[in-house]
Amino acid sequence: MAFHDASTPVAVEPNYDSGFRMAMRQLLRNKAAAAGLFCLLLIVFLAVFAPWIIPYDPTQIALSSKLHGPSWEHWLGTDHFGRDVLARMAHGARVSLSVGLSTVAFAAAFGVPIGLLSGYVGGRLDNVLMRLMDAFLTFPPLLLGVAIVGLLGADLTTVTLALGIVQIPVLARVVRSATLVVREETYITATRALGAGSWRLVFQHVLRNILSPLVVQITIVFSAAIVAEASLSFLGLGVQPPTPSWGRDLAEARRFMVDAPWMFLAPTGFIIVSVMAINFMGDSLRDSLDPRSWVRRAVTSRETPRASADR
Amino acid sequence: MWSYLVKRLIQMPLVLLVVTITIFLIIRFTPGDPVQIMLGMQTSPEAEAALRAEFRLDQPWHMQYLLWVGDLLQGDFGRSIRMNTPVLQLLADRLPISLALALSAMIFAVVVSIPLGLIAALKRNTWIDYLATGYTLFGFAVPNFALAMILIYVFSITLSWFPITGIGSGASTAPGLWGVVQPYVLPAVALGTLQTAIFTRLLRSSMIDVLGQDYMRTANAKGLQPLTILLVHALKNAMIPFVTMLAIQFGYLIGIQVTIEHIFAIPGMGSAILSAVVNRDFPVIQGFVLVIAAFFMLANIIADILYGIIDPRIRY
Repeated sequence: MAFHDASTPVAVEPNYDSGFRMAMRQLLRNKAAAAGLFCLLLIVFLAVFAPWIIPYDPTQIALSSKLHGPSWEHWLGTDHFGRDVLARMAHGARVSLSVGLSTVAFAAAFGVPIGLLSGYVGGRLDNVLMRLMDAFLTFPPLLLGVAIVGLLGADLTTVTLALGIVQIPVLARVVRSATLVVREETYITATRALGAGSWRLVFQHVLRNILSPLVVQITIVFSAAIVAEASLSFLGLGVQPPTPSWGRDLAEARRFMVDAPWMFLAPTGFIIVSVMAINFMGDSLRDSLDPRSWVRRAVTSRETPRASADR
Repeated sequence: MWSYLVKRLIQMPLVLLVVTITIFLIIRFTPGDPVQIMLGMQTSPEAEAALRAEFRLDQPWHMQYLLWVGDLLQGDFGRSIRMNTPVLQLLADRLPISLALALSAMIFAVVVSIPLGLIAALKRNTWIDYLATGYTLFGFAVPNFALAMILIYVFSITLSWFPITGIGSGASTAPGLWGVVQPYVLPAVALGTLQTAIFTRLLRSSMIDVLGQDYMRTANAKGLQPLTILLVHALKNAMIPFVTMLAIQFGYLIGIQVTIEHIFAIPGMGSAILSAVVNRDFPVIQGFVLVIAAFFMLANIIADILYGIIDPRIRY
């Protein structure tokens, strides 16, 4: 973080906090981001502690209480097997979040080195790698997922693989273009002049300075993975029953839309809220991770043009 | 510009080559045998061998690939193992439906996003702007199949305004033109809402950009009508990124319809691939993925061309 602090004119806003605390303060100042963080933490909490805080087993069939509406016993009602919908949502969150995380990890493990290499080395290697990434980008993401999961069989590994592959070029491109900019910075030349080796240069100095676009892109990949996992499950190609998942529960709820609308509203709500929460986080991380925006905010008015990004 | 275009067009078959080899490898090296699925367990080894030979499944994968590409160059997409019809015939049945759905989603997205993005940019930081931003945030967050279910619940089940199915079946509940359009409404809205969010956001930010330009002040100082300034000077310039995004998203829409087709029972390309995957119908998977990837690439190239045409400053 030393680089960031050095480029920040301290006179504008005297601040002796660390970069991390600055970023967190910026993040919490933004109400939408705070709300997003709260919702996300709530869902994570629900997912992690589901077996202890919800007194129902998500796979326990109780036909005597099937299709009951929301009540004090069952906050979100019960499904056609009498299973508690809230319990299923909480356990489904485990699948969604873990698929999201492992997809991010998988895509980053390949996408980040490819992008760094492509951007830092440049030349012919850059050309070959980027054309290869272009080829992967032409795969319709969901259909590739359908093909891979449908052919290999559905479990957490294949779903992660299928969703991660299409995100590799996305991350590689972001990392590459950020690397191209950072590569030309004076401090990189200075570090090289000090005798730093290429590995150290790339993985310590370049990587550290492209973290903010990378982190923002990772939040986008994370929310896209959650939606994609739900889509695959909805098509019957996600994790298999009896493991609860939002997408599959949504698919099953189709048959009971008239009698039990809460069955489809619950997973719909959970998916929308978690994706929105992650997107809010990403949007405000974009601002708060960029040290220049701390200064800009202090100098100019509060109104800064919203950076636009599309998925 | 022309040399750039030629370069892109030469690149296209190369990229498609990578795409087809990849899909070929995925298909051939995964468990599941189309012959076994089709003939079942009770079958003679002879019948099995005959079918295998007919679809060249007895050859090594690279030979299969080369033969497939050879046929492809002669316009032969092969035959479906499952349905025994030419893949080209299936494409001719499915592609128009997918294109119509993508087009209707696109129309919905454009009709909603242009006024929304325009108003949001003009009334920046007012409640209208916040409302528009809220809408885009929702659009980004709601998956199309979840939105489809909400729409079905409200407009089909509760209000009975629209049918749940009907595209491609020929059976229509309403007479005349409305009978043709009606079944497309809900799928188009469900499919296109993400695009309305993308377009609104894009138009808003590019409009804000344009409104701050010097030529806007000049137009104002010349005493032009505010509406002329808005439409001719502002909107026209703000539309440059919008139009290219339109082309890119159209290519994208064809590839992401599968969940919507599944819900509304639409016989489009996505559902064809879905059932082909389940049945290990290799020729169908290969052909359809190839066509969708080609559409996606073409859309991107068209976007680049449009960019050059609309904005004379861009030179490749």
